[in-house]
Amino acid sequence: MNEIGAADGTTTSPVPPRTREDGVEAIFKAHHGELVRLAVVLGADDAEDIVAEAFYQLYRRWSQLRRTESAIGYLRAAVVNLTRMRIRHIQVVRRHIQRSGPALETAQSGEALAVLRHDQRAIVEIVRELPARQREALVLRYWLDLSEREIAKTMDVTVGSVKVHISRGLAALTRKYEERR
Amino acid sequence: MSSPTGGPPGPLTDESLRSAFSALADGVHVRDDQSYARVSAGWKDRYRRRRLTVAVLATIVFAAVDVVGLWALNSAESIPQVIFSDTGPPNGADSGSLIGSP
Repeated sequence: MNEIGAADGTTTSPVPPRTREDGVEAIFKAHHGELVRLAVVLGADDAEDIVAEAFYQLYRRWSQLRRTESAIGYLRAAVVNLTRMRIRHIQVVRRHIQRSGPALETAQSGEALAVLRHDQRAIVEIVRELPARQREALVLRYWLDLSEREIAKTMDVTVGSVKVHISRGLAALTRKYEERR
Repeated sequence: MSSPTGGPPGPLTDESLRSAFSALADGVHVRDDQSYARVSAGWKDRYRRRRLTVAVLATIVFAAVDVVGLWALNSAESIPQVIFSDTGPPNGADSGSLIGSP
C-alpha cells in the first residue's frame, strides 16, 4: 500500500505513513470502492454509510494499529460486522411493523441486482436469505477469495467454524437453488 | 448457469457462485460525491465532538470531586487536635525527670 521503490527500482518494505491523516487517506483511495462492493455483496442497503462508519472507527483507533498493513483487514472486519448489525436491525424493524420479504431491497442493491442474469439473481437472493455467518463466510470465500485463516480472522471465529459455516451455507444454497430450478 | 440457448440454468457450482458475486459487485457504482474530503469531513467532525465531550465530562467530574472535597473539609468540626501540650508536667512527675526538659 505504501511501498516506496528504491532508486534502482526494487521495492522496499512498506513504510508507515507519517500521520493518521495520510494513512487513512491512502487507504481510503485504495480500498473505498472495494469495501462498498463488499458491503453490497454482503447484503447491505446503505453500503456507503457502513463503509464511512468503518473508516471512522479506523480513524479513531489508528494509533492502536500495530502495522499499517493490518488496516485493510480491520476495515474488512468492521464492514462485515456493521453490515450484519444493520441487516439484523432492519429485520427487527420490519418484523415489528409486520412487513415481510428480504430486508435488502434499496435503490443501491436494486440497481446492482437489475443487471444480473436470472440464475445469478436467484443465487444472490438465496444467499441473502441464509444466516448471517454463512452468508459472510461464502462471500469472503467466493468473492474475496480469502483463505480460511483470513476468513476466521475477519469474522473473529475459529477456522473450524469457518469450515462449518461454508459447508452448511453451500448445502443450504444448493438445496434452495435446486428447489427453484 | 443458463445454457446459450436460454434453457434452464445448470446445477450450482463454485464457479457460478463466484460469477454471481462478481456480477453483483460489478453492478455497484460508487457515487461521485464520495470523495475522501467529503466523506472524511463527517467522521472527523464526529471525532472532534467526541474528544470535546470526553474533555468536558472529565473536567466536570474533576471539578465536582474538588468541590465535594472542599465542602467535606470545610464542614469538619473545628476541634483543636492536641498532639503535644507543654502546659505543664503530667501528675506526679518531677519536673527534673521529664525527658527533654532543660
